[in-house]
Amino acid sequence: MTTVDEVLGSGAGPPLPHAPVVEFSRVTKRFGPDVLGLDDISLTVRTGEVVVLLGLSGSGKSTLLRHVDGLQLPTSGSVRVLGTEVTTAGGGELRTLRRRIGFVFQQFDLVGCRTVLENVCTGALGRIRGPRLGLPTYPKALRREGLERLDRVGLADRAFQRSDTLSGGQQQRVAVARALMQRPEVLLADEPVASLDPESSAQVMDLLKTISREDSLTVLCSLHQVDLALGWGDRIVGLRTGRMVLDLPAAGLDRDQVMAVYSRVGADASALLGAAG
Amino acid sequence: MAAPPGPGLVHVEPKQRLTAPPSSASTAATLVLIGLAAASVWAFIDLRINVATFVDGVHNAVAFAARVFPLDFPSFGEILLLCGQTLAIVVLATLLSTCLSVPLAVLAAGNTTPGDTSRLGSRAVIVIARAVPDLVLAIVFVRIFGIGALTGVLAMGLHSIGMIGKMYADAIEQIDNAAATALKAAGASRLQQIAGGVLPPVLPAFVAVGLHRLDINLRVTVVLGFVGVQGIGFAIAESLKVLDYQRGIALAVVVLGLCIVVELISGAIRTALLGRSSGPRGGITGAITGAAGALGRRAGLGARDAERSDEHLGVDPDLTRDPRLRSAAALADGRVGPPWDGARIGGACYALVTAAVVLASFSGAGISVTEAFGSLPRVFDSVGLFLPPETGGLFGELLVQLLITIKIALAATLIGVVLSLPIGALAARNVAPSPAVANTFRLVILIIRGIPELILAIIFVVITGLGEVAGAVALGIGGVGLLGKLVADSLEEIDPGPERALAATGAGRGQVLFAATLPAGMKALVAHVLYLLDTNIRAATLLGIVGAGGIGFYLLNASRVLEFGVVTTIILMVFATVMLFELLAIWLRSRF
Repeated sequence: MTTVDEVLGSGAGPPLPHAPVVEFSRVTKRFGPDVLGLDDISLTVRTGEVVVLLGLSGSGKSTLLRHVDGLQLPTSGSVRVLGTEVTTAGGGELRTLRRRIGFVFQQFDLVGCRTVLENVCTGALGRIRGPRLGLPTYPKALRREGLERLDRVGLADRAFQRSDTLSGGQQQRVAVARALMQRPEVLLADEPVASLDPESSAQVMDLLKTISREDSLTVLCSLHQVDLALGWGDRIVGLRTGRMVLDLPAAGLDRDQVMAVYSRVGADASALLGAAG
Repeated sequence: MAAPPGPGLVHVEPKQRLTAPPSSASTAATLVLIGLAAASVWAFIDLRINVATFVDGVHNAVAFAARVFPLDFPSFGEILLLCGQTLAIVVLATLLSTCLSVPLAVLAAGNTTPGDTSRLGSRAVIVIARAVPDLVLAIVFVRIFGIGALTGVLAMGLHSIGMIGKMYADAIEQIDNAAATALKAAGASRLQQIAGGVLPPVLPAFVAVGLHRLDINLRVTVVLGFVGVQGIGFAIAESLKVLDYQRGIALAVVVLGLCIVVELISGAIRTALLGRSSGPRGGITGAITGAAGALGRRAGLGARDAERSDEHLGVDPDLTRDPRLRSAAALADGRVGPPWDGARIGGACYALVTAAVVLASFSGAGISVTEAFGSLPRVFDSVGLFLPPETGGLFGELLVQLLITIKIALAATLIGVVLSLPIGALAARNVAPSPAVANTFRLVILIIRGIPELILAIIFVVITGLGEVAGAVALGIGGVGLLGKLVADSLEEIDPGPERALAATGAGRGQVLFAATLPAGMKALVAHVLYLLDTNIRAATLLGIVGAGGIGFYLLNASRVLEFGVVTTIILMVFATVMLFELLAIWLRSRF
């Protein structure tokens, strides 16, 4: 059986001498006695890599992403991110780590009744002290920075509208601006275009691609669309019922190989990894 | 093995059940409900609430009317002063209560609490605050802080936590947690997550609940006047004490007017905030669905907002066609605060008016902070007076009176339910035969809501004489203001789909009512009736002080003759009763 590292080492992946940013080693997550969220996952992501997670709903993509910044903790195994062991980190340590990791969610998760700019500014909460309620409670310099982030996603002219007056695609771009406000080193995106129409999807995906390239971000992004995944990712990771069933550089992959991740029968995990190697 | 029934055939075995098997939990709850209903009927009969009592009372009423008219109104200035004082106390009490309720609710709500200990702890504080009537608190605080505004502010402020805290916690639990999680993922602290992700969506509901409580407290303050809380209630109490009915009833009319005016204003603000009027529908679900509806509607205004933002940019129209350029122009503009558009000016005006009202209340109530702190050392002496509980050899009598209080509450709830169901149904726009009928009955409910129970009690004490009948009838009619509105609101909220489907099958109006509308509203109705019973148990205690029967009369007397040990005993008895009914209600609600 071919190991993950052998596959990566075999060629077409990203330049290797980069330091590992995210390291999962034998991570298992159980929800109750019967449900396995993650099943013995070992995965290393290096600086600047764009990793796309594929799999059916419920295959563990979101769970994996939420383990990266400690929103969920594993039942067993170790998660090291940016030099911090997430499983043993204390509250303060975890907050410092989360500050360095941007997270974009499927449902945007903005505060709908607040202005766009205030939502963007909340991305900076990790580096200021004390609770904030209302745009004027944020320092002017931060608000100016927020406006710049908004312009980067092309929405500075919407700064003072309620965020729930925007379209879905626009809201997701605001959520990206909020993540950028953290000046992140790692970007996590959990099906960022799953609830958008095709045109907005394309806009948001282009934006994510541009930003990840320009800022040389390390990206972990779960997607449903195989074509989007092949067009963007350096590396494709497939999950099924919590197990990693595929981990290959995107370059040499064709559509059918990836589609096997979604087929329910016949594709045994080790067979897939072996065939690919 | 029996063959499966063929398509289109339902195969019925001779002994097959044709009704759903009963579950033991719902059977127990149904039995308890039937028991409560039977007890209410028994209380109603046992209290001898019947037509004869009222016929006998007619000549009392006539004689009384002769002593009341002509009404003797005080000078206009004096009326203003009394109303101002009353409003000041009520505003401050409600403000105190909301300020204390926010942190309690954050600790009590499942999605914001740091742990089970603080959740259960603050839930307990809230339930206890609910179970100790404000009148009882006022009797204790009068000993500590003396006759004045502070006693009223503290008594109502602390008791109101029981309702406001619970509704705030429910409101927090109903919001979508995702935004707070997003902030958590960005490294925000717990407090930052709450301020940034939880409070913004619940603020409109918070304000609406506060205003609703303001209405209730305004009516309560009349009662508190009888134990020495300043304001218009105090003036009424003084007049009645010297049997000056002309002045007393005149002041009661003023209170009625004041209550209706405040109710109308706060109702209008609440409607504007939540998109529709809403009361405490056995919880705050109504308020929240209202808020969500308002949000949804506002979301629909996106296009209009977008146009407005184009206007404020004031850039070359050619530029505004390209969204990228428009964004760049906004960045170059460098504005980091929202523009002063109509909405922001409106909001600022609301904030200013609120601040002015609060400041005026502080000066109007005449509360001196130093004096309040000066009385604090007296707390221990005063509390010492109330310990240990004593019975003064009256325990048997007190138990009998407690039973009478419970009987009053049960009978009042029965009267309230019997009157509210038709009135509430006729006030619901989807049940009433015409919009005019619905509006008329809405108005009737509003007016009943405006009348403080105490005023009703005084009127019925006059008609039926001192005693339990007056209390039960006053509370029963007052209950229409609460339950009638809740019934009407619940009926209007029912999904019209099943009703339409039944009507389409050719069912008549009555058949639709029983087959679709009532089943859908049953759960809410049970919750509302339990809420009314809960309220009535506490109110029945209070009304005793004007001679409307029950243990309240003994409570007031014991405090008047400085038998504080007996006061403590009565407080404990009332507390235990209220808690008992509260727990019963919680249990019943969880079963339906």
